[in-house]
Amino acid sequence: MSGFTAFALRRAVSAVLTLLALSVIIYVVFYATPGNVAQITCGPRCSPEQVHQVAQQLRLDDPLYLRYWHFLQGIVAGHDYSTGTSVEHCPAPCLGLSYQSDQQVTRIILNKLPVSLSLVVGAMVLWLLLGVGTGVLSAWRRGRFTERALTGITLAGVATPVFVIGLVLMIVVCGQLELLPFPEYVSFSDDPEQWMWGLLLPWVTLALGEAAYFARLTRASMLETLAEDHIRTFRAYGVGERSIVGRHALRGALAPIIALNANDFGSAMGGAVLVESLFGLPGIGQELVHAVTVVDLPVVVGMVLVIGFFVVLANAVADVLYAVADRRVVLA
Amino acid sequence: MSEALVATEVPEASVPGASGARQFWRRLRAQRAAMVAAVVVALLVLVALAAPLLTALEGQDPTTYHPSLIDSARGGVPIGSFGGVGGEHWLGVEPQTGRDLFARLVYGARVSLGVALAATAVQVFLGVVVGVAAALGNRWVDQLLSRITDIIVAMPLMIMALALLAVVPSSFPRPVLVALIIGFVAWGTIGKIARAQTLTLKELDYVAAARLSGWGTLRIARRELLPGLAAPVITYAALMVPANISIEASLSFLGVGVKPPTPSWGQMLTSADVWYQAAPQYLLLPAAALFVTVLALTVLGDGVRTALDPRAASRLRIGTGRRQESKAGKPEAAKTEAGRSEAAEEGIA
Amino acid sequence: MRHPSLTARRVAAVSVSLVLAAGAAACGPEDNDAKSSGGDSTPHKGGTLTVLNSNPQQDFDPARLYTSGGGNVPSLVFRTLTTRNRENGAAGAKVVPDLATDTGRPSKDATVWTYTLKKGLKYEDGTAITSADIKYGIERSFAPELSGGAPYLRDWLVGAADYQGPYKDKKGLAAIETPDERTLVFHLNKPEGEFPYLATQTQFTPVPKAKDTGTKYEEHPVSSGPYKVVTNQNDGEHLVLERNTYWSASTDAERKAYPDRIDVKSGLDSSVINQRLSSSQGADAAAVTTDTNLGPAELAKVTGDKELASRVGTGHFGYTNYIAFNPTVKPFDNVKVRQAISYAVDRSSVVNAAGGSALAESATTYLPNQKSFGYEPYDLFPAGATGNAAKAKELLKQAGHPNGLTVTLTHSNSKDFETSPEIATAVQDALKKAGITVKLQGLEENDYSDTIHSVKTEPGFFLAHWGADWPSGGPFLAPIFDGRQIVKDGANFNTGLLNDKSVNDEIDAINKLTDLDAAAKRWGALDKKIGEQALTVPLFHPVYKRLYGKDIKDVVISDWTGVLDISQVAVK
Repeated sequence: MSGFTAFALRRAVSAVLTLLALSVIIYVVFYATPGNVAQITCGPRCSPEQVHQVAQQLRLDDPLYLRYWHFLQGIVAGHDYSTGTSVEHCPAPCLGLSYQSDQQVTRIILNKLPVSLSLVVGAMVLWLLLGVGTGVLSAWRRGRFTERALTGITLAGVATPVFVIGLVLMIVVCGQLELLPFPEYVSFSDDPEQWMWGLLLPWVTLALGEAAYFARLTRASMLETLAEDHIRTFRAYGVGERSIVGRHALRGALAPIIALNANDFGSAMGGAVLVESLFGLPGIGQELVHAVTVVDLPVVVGMVLVIGFFVVLANAVADVLYAVADRRVVLA
Repeated sequence: MSEALVATEVPEASVPGASGARQFWRRLRAQRAAMVAAVVVALLVLVALAAPLLTALEGQDPTTYHPSLIDSARGGVPIGSFGGVGGEHWLGVEPQTGRDLFARLVYGARVSLGVALAATAVQVFLGVVVGVAAALGNRWVDQLLSRITDIIVAMPLMIMALALLAVVPSSFPRPVLVALIIGFVAWGTIGKIARAQTLTLKELDYVAAARLSGWGTLRIARRELLPGLAAPVITYAALMVPANISIEASLSFLGVGVKPPTPSWGQMLTSADVWYQAAPQYLLLPAAALFVTVLALTVLGDGVRTALDPRAASRLRIGTGRRQESKAGKPEAAKTEAGRSEAAEEGIA
Repeated sequence: MRHPSLTARRVAAVSVSLVLAAGAAACGPEDNDAKSSGGDSTPHKGGTLTVLNSNPQQDFDPARLYTSGGGNVPSLVFRTLTTRNRENGAAGAKVVPDLATDTGRPSKDATVWTYTLKKGLKYEDGTAITSADIKYGIERSFAPELSGGAPYLRDWLVGAADYQGPYKDKKGLAAIETPDERTLVFHLNKPEGEFPYLATQTQFTPVPKAKDTGTKYEEHPVSSGPYKVVTNQNDGEHLVLERNTYWSASTDAERKAYPDRIDVKSGLDSSVINQRLSSSQGADAAAVTTDTNLGPAELAKVTGDKELASRVGTGHFGYTNYIAFNPTVKPFDNVKVRQAISYAVDRSSVVNAAGGSALAESATTYLPNQKSFGYEPYDLFPAGATGNAAKAKELLKQAGHPNGLTVTLTHSNSKDFETSPEIATAVQDALKKAGITVKLQGLEENDYSDTIHSVKTEPGFFLAHWGADWPSGGPFLAPIFDGRQIVKDGANFNTGLLNDKSVNDEIDAINKLTDLDAAAKRWGALDKKIGEQALTVPLFHPVYKRLYGKDIKDVVISDWTGVLDISQVAVK
């Protein structure tokens, strides 16, 4: 087996285990959550008999392990279910049906995923540009006005909750200055230009909250690299400052940036909740919060698994990138 | 992922011992910005601790309603300029209730700083213990702990917090609960940093030497590794404190934060954001408080890191040879050398 | 009101109030006649109306919808046997015929109701609407798969209690007869003079059996109204409605249906909706909201701006926020303690917490302050605007608490400004003056709902609210105060656990009346009588204020829904 295949295989196995453990944790936590699920699903004025019928239909009276087993079966083999008038098939990997809407969770996820990915990938580009840019400037051009302004902005970004940043930006940029349309999600395949304009403000909002971490990290790594002996040697040999910063110092900072970015990309998938809700972007985060509040367990588990999948994937990609960026590292 | 982080952090680290602590303070004191930041942080903590005294001085408290100070027909906007600022209410009053904003701000500092610091402490403790244990343990321990860290990282914080806050009975003190939940759900990143850094340190000469001379793992961890971990951990933790304040605010936004009438900055921000146009000071006060806190913590974090500066440490070794030697006999020389290299760096940076 | 997108959404999903689908809302202020912003104000056909909402239309199956009067958006697609009168103010609280030729012909004791369908009624595919389709629509609302509607059909129809819907029980409901294609006869197990009100709910819309797809029906329900669904994305997040060419205005006196197209976008934060409506840019100029009120902060801004103020609709929906007591819990078993709290309460600070005098009117009656409810003003324990602490202290002394009292107030942690912490802290602050120390027990929304609606766990002292299923005293008083509606092993709404024979008998007597005006008067009198027991402390009735876009004409806001009626609006 080549090194890469072994790496991929090991990663796949550990990913599956991680996701299984996650799903167990979610099942247990939500099992303990207060809230009469059958009553919530049925409606506030349902009679005890109706609530009982709903509970049976959703298998809510089964013990926890049986429900979990049923969930695993669905992933491996799919499920058939009744709509009342006909029987539908939910193909493997079936994550079950939403208690609330009776929709297949896999379909809900497929509908919402493009929105969340659009949001997070776009924001990632911005936070990398803003964060790494600020970090480079603050390591290299300390004390200049641009550096101070950018550092101030990124710190204000961490200091202010995203819902405040988002709302104020929107009132000013869209409402008062009318520079941008109010954010709205248009799918990329329908109209790429509208897609971009509609998401620009959410991207900025999300990126402002993350950029500071990259700025600090970049600055720290670069300062270290710049102080290393070989850089001094380069300087002594008259290598240009730009080249030193660009080719050598920044390269040294690349690894931690990649690693941090992997973590943040994953957590942003779930953490974009507030941005998605504020701007009404129908993504995974928004759906997930709603599902939590109505104790819609199949949706919660499905969405958490998707987010977990992206965290695991992002980290694996980071390792590969890291190995590419720095040949000294062997994939382990 | 953890693999990628391995060589990522600081290549080398300082090795303060008894004399190192003195060195550290001297270097920290030498940085003006850091000292100003330290004073600001100290003041913030003082304000939080002295909240009852300060509000007594003003003659107000954070929970009493003042209906006469707000315009009920206009949604409860404060009457008077700048939101009712005056001798009675130093920073004006809260829309809708007329509660004193100064009192709420200083009491809010208690909750916000308390929750954020406590959560950070839990995160750092768990992260460092798990990270170091993973790096020092055998293959199986490492695998187990690393996979647990993966699971923690993959858990969406907001969602877990929403669920867990609903599970715990409402009689449990809410600020403590919020701090614990943030601490226990969000230590993954710091755990990875700690593991990566420890792996790097483990290979360094002085640690290897300590091992060769027969020190136990615990002793090595405590005496040799923890000081080396301080720099990256402190830098990251300086950002975690404000992030935790922000998380507390977001939880309030989602309706599960610290409970009223207890004020917190996060809660103030949450209810204030829509007032941005009608009563701007209501939003600006907690936002400014938070910004000052973040700025001060970041600058202080930088200062601490510089004081623990690995480059200084590396030159320390160049100048005096192995750490063991310096410890054995030439602390004075080491200090002087360190002082000099510091001066040299000012030029570079 | 604030941030509904996250928090109110959850509230909507679980709360007890019935307003959910109707979306409560806003309207009709003083000057509804001269509504538009200058120029030609006569409404014209055509154009696209945009609806900006926070809550997605997740339920769009007529069986699952819980509406007051058929809802706002749903009513564009679903016609029902009767419907609400689409007029401003009190006139809009009347029930009028829709698919039927009249509001129903009762038998002498109001236990049998007969309806005749108008001629020429068609679905969106041109097929005829028959009485059997209406019967089928009602039957499917009994299927456990399609639960969610109001409880009245199950309670009122003969033999309906155990019926499980047409999927399991092919025989159908014998209580509904369809002697011919245009006639329906309903058999009730007791007299119900308000049956015509019930027939406005979406369960009374026709569903063609051949087109029924069970739980998937909501993706494309077959329209009987002026619009049909052309897009339903993400479970009601984005709906596009276009004209149903088979709908004829000649059979529908209520819906104006001016716009050609209706674009419903939801999942938006309330502050975003209000900001967009106030900016009124592009398509937002022809936009309204059917579920988002102006919050206090937005109101403060709007009142300072003439142009914006002219685009605010004000309305009243039958709704009361109150403090509830459980008289089986000490010390609330003592009526003097309940009265003391009634005297001590400071309604002005509660009103401020709820958004100020423009968004809430202080309440001393349990019934909403509208004529159709039979509102009879009374103030049995006069507290004035800010509370009568002296009287409260005196009563406490008589009750054996001369040194004051410590009690726990249970409330929810949601941010609805109804049972939320803001209201609870205002009550806490007010009772301090009367020597009553209030400890707050805030529960997460689901926990709160379970706790207060279970006889076993119900606390002694908590915040509650109730909304009208239709504008009459019946659905307002009976579920809360009828002793036979106490539910021991499920969701119980009679939180005062009142089982008073004279109250029960009066409820039965009023239900026999088919003269709704006469019934209203007696509901009002009954409300006052129940009020003497001090089982609740009415706090306030909300006022709905909503913005609409610059190009919106013909704003109609009835006392039934309290919100702008989307079927009347024109954009040209």
